Amino acid sequence: MEESTKKKLREFLVTKLNEFTDYGPLFDDESIFMSGRLDSFSMMNVVMHLEKIYGIDFSKIDFDVSLLDTVNDIEKLIDSSE
Amino acid sequence: MTGSITFSAEGCLVGKKNKRATRSSWLRNFLAIDERVFFISLAQTPIGKLMMTAIAILGTAPYLGYWYSICAIFGAMFAVSCPKSRDLILFALTWLTAFFATALGNVDTLEHITILMNQEHIKTIPPVTLAIGFLAVFSILSSVLLSQVRRFPRSLISRHPLISLLIFEAILCGLGSINLISGLPRVVLWSVIFVLTPYIWFLPYAIQDQRTRNPSSHLFQMASLRPFWSPAYLPFGKGAIFLQKHLSKTDYDLAVTQLKGTKLIIWSNLLMFISNTLSWLLIGHKLLPSMTESIDAFLIGNPYSQSISWAAVILSTIKFSLLTAFWSGLFIGIARLAGYRLPRGCWRPLESRNLIEYFNRFHYYFKELLVDFFFIPTFFKVFREYPRLRMFFATFMAAGIGNGLWHFLRDIELVATQGPINAINSFSSYLFYCIILATSVGISQVRVMMGIRPSSSILGRIYSFVFVWIFVACMHIFSDGSRNHSLGERLLFLGSLFGVS
Repeated sequence: MEESTKKKLREFLVTKLNEFTDYGPLFDDESIFMSGRLDSFSMMNVVMHLEKIYGIDFSKIDFDVSLLDTVNDIEKLIDSSE
Repeated sequence: MTGSITFSAEGCLVGKKNKRATRSSWLRNFLAIDERVFFISLAQTPIGKLMMTAIAILGTAPYLGYWYSICAIFGAMFAVSCPKSRDLILFALTWLTAFFATALGNVDTLEHITILMNQEHIKTIPPVTLAIGFLAVFSILSSVLLSQVRRFPRSLISRHPLISLLIFEAILCGLGSINLISGLPRVVLWSVIFVLTPYIWFLPYAIQDQRTRNPSSHLFQMASLRPFWSPAYLPFGKGAIFLQKHLSKTDYDLAVTQLKGTKLIIWSNLLMFISNTLSWLLIGHKLLPSMTESIDAFLIGNPYSQSISWAAVILSTIKFSLLTAFWSGLFIGIARLAGYRLPRGCWRPLESRNLIEYFNRFHYYFKELLVDFFFIPTFFKVFREYPRLRMFFATFMAAGIGNGLWHFLRDIELVATQGPINAINSFSSYLFYCIILATSVGISQVRVMMGIRPSSSILGRIYSFVFVWIFVACMHIFSDGSRNHSLGERLLFLGSLFGVS
């Protein structure tokens, strides 16, 4: 994944965290959903974002939360779908 | 002159604001013992741990029973002091407390089996034998199931754990409800159902965890099935993976987590105190009727005044909300003492600015269960081309279907004792509540998605508060958990609150 794409992804996730009044830093290997920083509803917003921007079809993926849990995980998912 | 007046008025306002902020931050600072070095250091000493243990036992024993509290709190403190044997200790605690609670009749399973045995006139086997026996069988079978899930990841139960379990439960309930089975076989079948039902909401998390890339140990998976800190139907703390993510890693973190747990237990007691005091003051002194009394009086044609009826509904809603916050606080408090810094179950629901926020804040673990097993699977499967409809429908599945199923299964003994038709009939009022709640939360969710958010001004906040809580109070008439009144009777009572006869 290009650095600019990753930056945009991080910006999107940080916006979601800020909506949850979470202003802490977000590291690439840090758990976002399993740690409870974002809840399951927010996860669906991330899913929709990934579907819309990167064209990922989640209905074809054997989904589990660990696929989206960190920035690195999401990066891997995007790369594998390309 | 004008400028000076404006200045002083603003200054006054700012002064007042600051004063309020200072007062609030003073209280916050005073209560924030988990942020003070002295208390964090104390919590790492044997005296500190002893103090937290004593407070937690005193704070939980009146509600969970002394032997249960002592086991749970000492066990939690012991588990954190032996990190290498943690999984084993938690496993032993979860299952020992489950067996002892069953044997001592502290769980509803035994009560339900006893009622059914009396109904079927069976006296040959003590109910406790059936309850304990099937719990033992269940523990072995669930252990086998979890190990098989890893071997057969494409099997139906691995891919759709909750649906598979619900179908299995439905088949068992169907068999138990037909007239061909009676007497001891019927009691045995329903005993299996009573033992299995609470675990239906825990097993899917364990199965899901087994399928992840780094599953937890088998012992810990088993320990997370109705863990000792929440002998309820709802997975407080979700599954093993969620728990592992929230495990305190250092002594400092552990001390903070345990202090937060102790505080939460004290807070829960305060909530229960408020609830009891309100009951004692208002209902005990006959200043207000209970909501049930108010509906009864309306139905026999001798209603209380509109304002009294409203007050009864509001009081009942407050008590229900306090009770929900109380139990989730108590359970999460114990889990925190075991080292898991779990999010609170009920987090500032009064600050909810719309219905979806209320749904998120009021009962976090219930909402998470519904989202994980109803919202997400629906969301991935339907209406992908229509984002708003997709969001609405998935929310409806969670807040409506999931919510209804959970509550129906929680009272599954009514299917055995009253028959399925009567059980569904008496559930119609809650079903109505689920449909209205699901539709409203769904609309709220779509509005948020469209960027429509409530105003942050004071008036906007007051409007949001009034709207959310009047909705909750009105819906509480249908969701109070009692099955004394029909849907029609409750609808008429609701109408009377608005002057509609």
